[in-house]
Amino acid sequence: MTTPLSTLRILDLTSGVSGPWCTKLLADYGADVIKVERPGLGDESRAHGPFPHGIPDREKSALYLWLNTSKRSITLDITTPTGRDLALRLAAHCDAVVLDQRASELERLRLMQDDFAAVNPRIVTTSVTAFGQSGPYAEWSETNLTSYATGGQHYLTGDADREPLQNGGYQALYQAGTWAFGATLAAVWDARKTGVGQQAEVAGQEVMAAILEIYLPDFAYRKAETLLSRRGNMSTAVVGIYPVIDGHIGIHAMPKNWPQLLDALDMHWMAEDERFVDNRARLRNDDDLMAQMYIWTAGVTKAEAYERGGRFRAPISPVNTMADLLASKHLAERESFRQIDHPAAGTMRYPGPPARMPASPPEVRLTPTLGQHNAEVYGDLLGHSPRDLSLLSAAGVI
Amino acid sequence: MNTSDLRLPTSNLPLSGIRILDLTMVWAGPSATRLLADMGAEVIKVESARSWDMLRSLHFLSGSPPGWYDKAAYFNHNNRNKYGITLDLQSARGRELALQLVAKSDIVFENYRADVIGKLGLDYPDLRAVREDIILVSMPSHGKSGPEKGNVAYGTNVEQLAGLASLSGYPGMGPHKSPIAYGDPNAGAIAAAAALAALIRRSETGEGQHIEVAQWEAMIGNIGEFVLAWQMYVAATPDADIDAWSEEQRIGNRHRSRAQGVYACATEDEWVTVSVGSDAEFGAMCAVIGQPELVRDGRFADVVSRRHNHDEFDAIVAAWTATRSQYDAARELQAAGVSAAPVLKIQKLMQDDNLRARGFWETVAHPAAGEWDMEGPVWRMSRTPGHVRMPAPMFGQHTAWVLGELLGLSPDEIAALEAEGVTAREPNAGVHS
Repeated sequence: MTTPLSTLRILDLTSGVSGPWCTKLLADYGADVIKVERPGLGDESRAHGPFPHGIPDREKSALYLWLNTSKRSITLDITTPTGRDLALRLAAHCDAVVLDQRASELERLRLMQDDFAAVNPRIVTTSVTAFGQSGPYAEWSETNLTSYATGGQHYLTGDADREPLQNGGYQALYQAGTWAFGATLAAVWDARKTGVGQQAEVAGQEVMAAILEIYLPDFAYRKAETLLSRRGNMSTAVVGIYPVIDGHIGIHAMPKNWPQLLDALDMHWMAEDERFVDNRARLRNDDDLMAQMYIWTAGVTKAEAYERGGRFRAPISPVNTMADLLASKHLAERESFRQIDHPAAGTMRYPGPPARMPASPPEVRLTPTLGQHNAEVYGDLLGHSPRDLSLLSAAGVI
Repeated sequence: MNTSDLRLPTSNLPLSGIRILDLTMVWAGPSATRLLADMGAEVIKVESARSWDMLRSLHFLSGSPPGWYDKAAYFNHNNRNKYGITLDLQSARGRELALQLVAKSDIVFENYRADVIGKLGLDYPDLRAVREDIILVSMPSHGKSGPEKGNVAYGTNVEQLAGLASLSGYPGMGPHKSPIAYGDPNAGAIAAAAALAALIRRSETGEGQHIEVAQWEAMIGNIGEFVLAWQMYVAATPDADIDAWSEEQRIGNRHRSRAQGVYACATEDEWVTVSVGSDAEFGAMCAVIGQPELVRDGRFADVVSRRHNHDEFDAIVAAWTATRSQYDAARELQAAGVSAAPVLKIQKLMQDDNLRARGFWETVAHPAAGEWDMEGPVWRMSRTPGHVRMPAPMFGQHTAWVLGELLGLSPDEIAALEAEGVTAREPNAGVHS
């Protein structure tokens, strides 16, 4: 059995989080991803860590190790004429090139869709940035915060009496990468059908604005502002995070889950209480309901609450830590993690692919060291000899 | 239905000619099929009187006016560009007709709890018996195997299970939830991409397959660097304490290495983000805020000092933003190359210059709900751009057309189905109240 994307080859000119996450997904699903890194320095995430013992090492950054599994790494300075030429020659062998540069930079580098199409009319150029290749913010500098803030989710996250809160890690950058993964495949599908490539563009701001759940659709239609404030950890008494004896749990009960929730809480008397008799009454008496929830949660552990949720089919879950994930019997039985032994970083368990495809299983494979595949990529694809490579290396191109 | 309902042709779109039978409801599944519908796939959404999309009930219109179930914006945004039919899959005839549709489809999506699709007799072997190369995408929260496969979870549970909530929060405070049911669109975007990967695979081998997107697993990747970081920490720390470590990760609006935050502006509850990494960015920021001497101030002169004196850094930035609007602050800083952005309320987001200039909003005309602006397709294709071609289906709007045109049923047979309760014109309101 081969992987689903074993016939795709991708040229990856990105760095950081969004682009590398997109190409990691492509690589884990089987594409031959050639990751282009700056000679000597590599992807910016190699410098970011976290690192073992906190000691910086370009081959041991957790962020880099995670975002670049299954790829081949080459070094190449695309800002030099020779480097640009090599990039275009590699692109001639690829289905798609993934880019995260701003429009002005691509113009300066002469690495626009037209430049790639001149060497490969079927090629897809995927652009993944915060604000897109056009529009008044196209030249703005981006971080995870910029997409999180301008995409609308930031304002809604956090407590009403405090500043808006960013959620954990780099969620806006990851989302842009996930959406760019799909957009790339849609454009490659089309290119294989028609023989003509195109640009597939994903802007983080637009991704975030498109996943605002009920908030954006309801405002767009009704123009009512009732839903548009920060509501902390409690959307309602039965949609929120509660402290328990040894940590926190989450509950997310829809109206139809009410009977099961009462089973799990063992509080059947609430079914008879007029304050809680139907959804409307419960919303009216949300504070009273929350008080009851706090009474229950104060007396259980994460594991007990989750066990009761599972047994009675009520939507209750533990707020898992990284230690909980790695110790989970459920995830262990499903083999959700992959043990990978990296020559520099050692053996760790990496999360498996996000979607399972049993007829063509994707796989999370070893993360490359900087420039590990120079000889095979430049040799096999472009016919360069070791002697050529030493010339390119001496000139600082690779 | 007639062809005038199709306001724009699909023939040049990437997924023209691909038919998807969509058994999903609420958000995760519909967000996946919406992505594919936007790209030209013919998506047929299936509901019934007793099993209909709960989003139809979230209309917030007072007194539940006639046809309320066709007027919920949450539903209408997530199901645009799709057809809608009714079929009671729990009836023998409904199941039989669904299988006839499967035989004419490329992909089936379902997001029931793990055991439901089997009880309906519509699991992968059942579908494969009528369409050998069918691609089935299942999206159960916990997956279809493992001791917790029967558990129930919605989108906020998914980010709790996956560990994201343990990493989110104000410094010194406990875990925090996302305001949205984040597990849903995350799994949806993964599922749509996986379906495309399976289509590419099918075109090469002739084989379909059964894709499983366990929503819990699909989110762990989004915090994968923390999974590795914790293992690195444990390996280096004999008495590693997960609760203390998790609290250290909850840095709110701050960053591991940059100096940054969210700062109040002149108008109440208006905020702007500012973030500086390099000395050059810090210098540019100091020039913009009129305090160029700060680049020589020992408290902020280098990357390390700025992190050590972050609270003082915040106070200086906040004093400047307090005199400006969020847009003015962001524009002035960005003009100097400093990463800054307005924290947009949805009211402002819909007026935002960048989204407007890029043509993000498209006006949709819905026969029951009227006209309004919704977000356009986010996968922006330069040669084959997607659009909102048609509004979300009214309940059962295309039942007769689909059963007649695709399955060849006569008008009498179609009428008989309604009389038997296999199809319906109205949802049973009691299901979601």
